[in-house]
Amino acid sequence: MKNRLIALLVSVVWLAGCQQEVPETVRSGLVYCAEGPPEHFNPQRVTSGTTIDIISQQLYDRLLDIDPENGNLLPGLAVSWQRSADGLIYDFTLRQDVKFHQTRFFSPSRPFNADDVVFTFERIMEPSHPYHFLGGGNYPYFQSVNWAALVQQVSAIGPNQVRFELSRPDSSFLSNLATDFAAILSAEYAANLLTDGQQALLDSRPIGTGPFRFREYQKDVLVRLYRNTDYWRGQSAMEQLVFDIVPNNAKRMAKLLTHECDIVAFPRLAELTLISERPDVKVQESTSMNVGFWAFNTTKAPFDQVKVRQALAIAINQSAILQAVYFNQATAAKGILPPTSWAFEQKLPDAEYNPQRARELLAESGLAAGFSMDIWAMPVQRLYNPNALKMAELIQADLANIGVTANIVSYEWNTFRRKLSEGEHDSVLIGWAADNPDPDNFFSPLLSCAAADSGSNRALWCDPTFDLLLSQALSTDNQEARRAYYLAAQRHLHAEMPLVAIAHSQRFQAINANVEGVIINPYGGIALFAARRVLP
Amino acid sequence: MAKFRLYLEENNRSPLAQLWREFSRQHSALVGLTLFASFLLFSVIAPFITPHDPYFQADNLLLLPPSWAPDGLVQYPFGTDDLGRDLLSRMLKGTTYTFGLALVTVLASLMAGLALGALAGMSRGVKSSFFNHLLDLVLTIPSLLLAIIIVAILGPGLANTAWAIILALLPQFVHGIRNAIADQLKRDYVTAYRLDGANNWQVLTRVVIPNIWEKITVMSSMALSTAILDIAALGFLGLGAQAPTAEWGAMISDSMDLIYVAPASVAVPGLLIFAAVLSVNLLGDGLKVAIQKRRES
Amino acid sequence: MIVFLLRRLFLLGTVLLGLSIFAFALGYLFPGDPLQNFSGLRYIDSTQRDLLISEYRLDQSYLAQYLAFLERIIAGNWGLSFASQQPLLQEIWQVLPATLELTAYALLLSFVLGVPFGILAAIKPQGVFGKTISGLALIGYSLPIFWWALLLIMFFCIGLGWFPSGGRIGVLYEIPNVTGFIMLDIMYADVSYQQAAFHDALTHLILPTLVLATYPTTVMIRFVRDAMLEVWDQNYIKTAKAKGLNRLQVLYRHGLRNALLPVIRQIGLQFSALITLAMLTEVIFSWPGIGRWLIDSIYQRNFPAIQSGLMIISTLVITVNMLTEILHTLFNPLARKS
Repeated sequence: MKNRLIALLVSVVWLAGCQQEVPETVRSGLVYCAEGPPEHFNPQRVTSGTTIDIISQQLYDRLLDIDPENGNLLPGLAVSWQRSADGLIYDFTLRQDVKFHQTRFFSPSRPFNADDVVFTFERIMEPSHPYHFLGGGNYPYFQSVNWAALVQQVSAIGPNQVRFELSRPDSSFLSNLATDFAAILSAEYAANLLTDGQQALLDSRPIGTGPFRFREYQKDVLVRLYRNTDYWRGQSAMEQLVFDIVPNNAKRMAKLLTHECDIVAFPRLAELTLISERPDVKVQESTSMNVGFWAFNTTKAPFDQVKVRQALAIAINQSAILQAVYFNQATAAKGILPPTSWAFEQKLPDAEYNPQRARELLAESGLAAGFSMDIWAMPVQRLYNPNALKMAELIQADLANIGVTANIVSYEWNTFRRKLSEGEHDSVLIGWAADNPDPDNFFSPLLSCAAADSGSNRALWCDPTFDLLLSQALSTDNQEARRAYYLAAQRHLHAEMPLVAIAHSQRFQAINANVEGVIINPYGGIALFAARRVLP
Repeated sequence: MAKFRLYLEENNRSPLAQLWREFSRQHSALVGLTLFASFLLFSVIAPFITPHDPYFQADNLLLLPPSWAPDGLVQYPFGTDDLGRDLLSRMLKGTTYTFGLALVTVLASLMAGLALGALAGMSRGVKSSFFNHLLDLVLTIPSLLLAIIIVAILGPGLANTAWAIILALLPQFVHGIRNAIADQLKRDYVTAYRLDGANNWQVLTRVVIPNIWEKITVMSSMALSTAILDIAALGFLGLGAQAPTAEWGAMISDSMDLIYVAPASVAVPGLLIFAAVLSVNLLGDGLKVAIQKRRES
Repeated sequence: MIVFLLRRLFLLGTVLLGLSIFAFALGYLFPGDPLQNFSGLRYIDSTQRDLLISEYRLDQSYLAQYLAFLERIIAGNWGLSFASQQPLLQEIWQVLPATLELTAYALLLSFVLGVPFGILAAIKPQGVFGKTISGLALIGYSLPIFWWALLLIMFFCIGLGWFPSGGRIGVLYEIPNVTGFIMLDIMYADVSYQQAAFHDALTHLILPTLVLATYPTTVMIRFVRDAMLEVWDQNYIKTAKAKGLNRLQVLYRHGLRNALLPVIRQIGLQFSALITLAMLTEVIFSWPGIGRWLIDSIYQRNFPAIQSGLMIISTLVITVNMLTEILHTLFNPLARKS
């Protein structure tokens, strides 16, 4: 003890300007500065991209993966798959010798097999499943695509063979399996926890098959992962991966510049030119399928009137928003589907800015005197909306022109989303980033009746005509036929205006110049498996 | 320059004039007074002299640099923020919120403190002593912490901030005024006045208050610097003024995102808060010294 | 003396009682369901609700409810946090040491700097040196701390790259949380990079400590200076001078001892100011202490956390104040009389 004290005293003296040697643990570790804390560690129950970025690609694998280059499906934990002629049965052959994580709290006794897949999906589908109601029985993504009605049964037809039986053909089924939400959990770990009466730990102390294994989570401070030395794709170059939680944009940028962070989520667009001039930082840009929008709570008056929604839509100045909030690093949105999608409707008119007409529309709805409303603005920066509060201020000023008084409301991010899914808002500035390349990913999770029930439909909009178009599109495999349905759906949305699409943004990532191999998937979270440090 | 004095001047000036003489001898206090006066002036006339509407968003003039920078504009001396709002106008408007509101809260708190302090000061006995010790302890909780707690209950917002600060400043006023009054009541001239048949109210208004107003002024100046710092701190934490209100603390936290692109939008509001607090402190220190010197002379 | 102690303890008891009543009232004052505010459970089903109502005696009078509340507080059952659904007391013990550590260093720094500079400023108050110190003290006294912190970060972290911009230690150093005090934890940690970790923690500590110490240091300087000046005017100093002692001797033997007595009382007062300023400092430097935790709880509308954070901080501040006052009285018999 005494020696230690002396050693410490010595190092105090050293502090006077002396360069300390960097220990191995720092050189072989990577720090990702995230914009918010994860809600928990189970991708099945998540909708926020913040949580997905932190947990999905690092801790888990999926049956299928998406090629970031072209959006094609790739084998993941499933090496091959077959679809029956009627499109109702899918058989998957699973990869062998894949090991689950070996950690301080769990040692797997067997490799990954069909039981794990069955466990993973039964948890979502079966209310009688012991884990179904862990966390309230909410699986927002799966509920929004009506998974329980679609998939009738998941069964193991061999130790490494799994069969999915569907109630109707669904052209987006495989894409849904490849989303970050469809991560495969360990059935053995869950069974162990059940025997110990510790079910709650399944979603807070995760076990997966991914490139990194869980070490610790200090709430709202950091998530620490270590590499999975048995990973089936090979070992990651980085021994340690830490997600440092820094909700404040300016602080995240400061940490990048002081090299406390290697990768920074969502650098401020205003600063892109500034940081790209620095030699020690590089900016990665990639196209991303996303949309930032302003959704009205259509269950509340006066937003249940189409004319009011249309009036609000033309009252806001989209090009001013693009300039002030996105610094013109985004495409102006005509509808919720980005132009890069094959189902995009070209013929939609550009967003209109017409306060005069907006006032007339309000007068026609009997609201000539104006009214007062809340605009909920996300407290964090997201891909599709880099600064919702600024956007809210712009909209507030625009609305004042047509006699509408707007109050800006914001809470801490997790609280914000909780209150949002309880439908307390009048209108909200939020958005959506695609999880897979299928166009349905923009419609069903966002605006279907099922999504209105699960809480991911921010407009709480339920329209039978629209839902019919979606289900018709899903029941066919013919791309031209699907396209026709989606075009109609987009035109219908434009007429009904449950939400105002604002912009499709590029995704940026600021990275320390000596880090390479960071893969940004246009259809989901960031993958850090291949990241490595290149020392000059 | 010394004046030529033909007659020997009468040296019995009024106390106020004497105070002013001592006060004006200190350069720092004069600087403080000038600054204070200009802040006061701006906080009143700010709405009429802002060159632009502080909330108007000029879409084509985003993030304009200050006019001393090569591509700045003369019409926008401090430049614009990321929504195209004129920073100078917002700073001016902020004087009303941060400085003006602080003044109002201090006055309100002073009034309430005067009433409660007088009540407590004029009463005596165990109750009073206990009350005093109780206040002593409440006083140890700093005003900002009290204000944060009160805002946590009332919810964020500028109006709630004002209430919170009024309440948070109250204990120190009550305590100070109570002690000052209790001190005065021990004086012989109060006893003499009482023997003349004066009742409590007359004692309080005619003897006690005129004798403690100097103390009250010093107390208020300290409270004012606390109030300015607290309003700004709450605004900075996002618990006080809400966007787009041009309150200095809130403006700093708003511009934090732009600290690398437009450092002026963070530096200037902070400098203003600093100058406002400094002016109040200089004034308060000057007053304290002047009072002390006048008493000695 | 014993009477004095008893009276103080009685007062402390009364204030803590008042505090607990206030905290209890908060359960009703905060928006939302009192049962949720007291228990911290986000979802309460009907069977659980009945159980909790009878446990918390919410169906009985306010007095009975308050007594039940008091029992829970004393038993250490402080309810759960809305945000994490973890026991609050456990969360507080995790964040409190970080704040105490930072506060202690800042307090120490403010004394180490404040006392000598205060004395120096008092020796020749009208000299250049005295005026400079007083001027600097006034400036430090008027600085908005959050702005000051930002300036320092911009200059030292971003500009010069000397110090990291936030946190307690580089996140790649894995130091198990044993005591909660980072320096102690590093000593206890069984890792190969102990020395590097210690060095890293020190660089993280410097700026927050400096920022936090600014205000108390300036208060200290002003306080010591004024106290010295006052003592300087006393008759016993004049006597000492008359006896022919030189300046230093007078200063040391008679001035300091009398002037520094009230400084003990300052520890308590400074401590409460520090705890408040620590909230702002922690927010800016991402320091995982109770201040940041409390502010986050306000953003999260985490009412049970606000309630218990308030209780802990107030109790801490009041107790420290009471203790320093008692200490002060012990050393200074004059204070007992008033």
